[in-house]
Amino acid sequence: MALSAAQRSKIRRLSQPRELSPDEEGGELNIVPFLDIVVNILIFVLATVAVTFTASIETTPPAAGGSGVRAEMQSDALNLTVFVVNEGFSLKASGGNIAPGCQQPGPGISIPTVNGDYDYDALTQCATRLKASSDAYQDETQFSIVANPGTDYQVIINVIDAMRRTPQGDPLFENVNFKVIR
Amino acid sequence: MTEQDPSANARPPAKKPAGSVVEYKAALRKQIRRNAHDPEVNFLNITAMLDIMTIILVFLLKTLGELSAAIPQSDDLRLPNSLIQTQPHQEGITVTISKSQILVGENKVLSLPGRESTAQTGVGAQYKRGGPSDLNIVPLANALQAARKTDMAIRRAKGLDPSSSEAIIIADRNTPYRLLIEVLFTLGQNGFGRYHLMVIQSKKRG
Repeated sequence: MALSAAQRSKIRRLSQPRELSPDEEGGELNIVPFLDIVVNILIFVLATVAVTFTASIETTPPAAGGSGVRAEMQSDALNLTVFVVNEGFSLKASGGNIAPGCQQPGPGISIPTVNGDYDYDALTQCATRLKASSDAYQDETQFSIVANPGTDYQVIINVIDAMRRTPQGDPLFENVNFKVIR
Repeated sequence: MTEQDPSANARPPAKKPAGSVVEYKAALRKQIRRNAHDPEVNFLNITAMLDIMTIILVFLLKTLGELSAAIPQSDDLRLPNSLIQTQPHQEGITVTISKSQILVGENKVLSLPGRESTAQTGVGAQYKRGGPSDLNIVPLANALQAARKTDMAIRRAKGLDPSSSEAIIIADRNTPYRLLIEVLFTLGQNGFGRYHLMVIQSKKRG
């Protein structure tokens, strides 16, 4: 038997999905603005961290007039000193001043500037050659720096970098001592 | 003859017979099933993602704070670049040499003259006992002595050798060698035997 109009009407009414009251439908916080802030902070922190990785170079008090802290040197040590002057780098070892070209002892600036800039690659090559010149120098890890009073700290750090390792990553002179001429 | 009300003879409209209760309930269930649909997704559930991002943020902030990488870079203090890839040393008294002043920890020790002057005579003769050629900076030495006492107590408490302290040198990249040596020399004269020169790691030379 077919349903009456009243029954069909009641069925339509009862079968409608129940609308949620405002209290029921707002169940979660809207955290999208908070998420925006967090994402922005995250990007800022990541960008900032990427440019400020620091490192430290170890050294000891400078030697002035024979004082200062230095590791004991053997008599046959290379005892290398790099003089940073306006014209370039002058290297002095236990055998005397290194001549230009870094091949033999002699007077002059060992590594002259190129177009007014210090030649750090040539300094690395010269240090590599000097260290390889004798088996007695293989265990030597320290060198000294003396510079003109007005030499920038950045230049000193570049010299330390150039003297530390070869381009292939082999260690050269990893310990630096500062010297000053009174 | 009595007149009859015409409406009295009129039959009421035939009422459609109602369906049975069983049919009614079956039809109702069928209609409810037909109208039923999945609840609408009004928003994404990003709580899990938020948890992860918050944890990453806290981790990064903590790491950043511990790294002492938060050295302020400004025109007055810009660290030199270096190819070195070691971790920065954390222990020691911080001595900062900017373009305009020298600080021990957070405390300003003295103001510096211009670069031309510091390149020739360092901080200047007025801060030294032995004249312009002297390397010992008196105000810095006084500040370092106080810092050394504190550091000695800390090193004893940590079980480290108290006979010598360590210093972290944060110097501007344009600091003249003369000024750098004066600061390092003064540190050496006041019981600081090991220095850590702070630099910015870089892939190329500065």
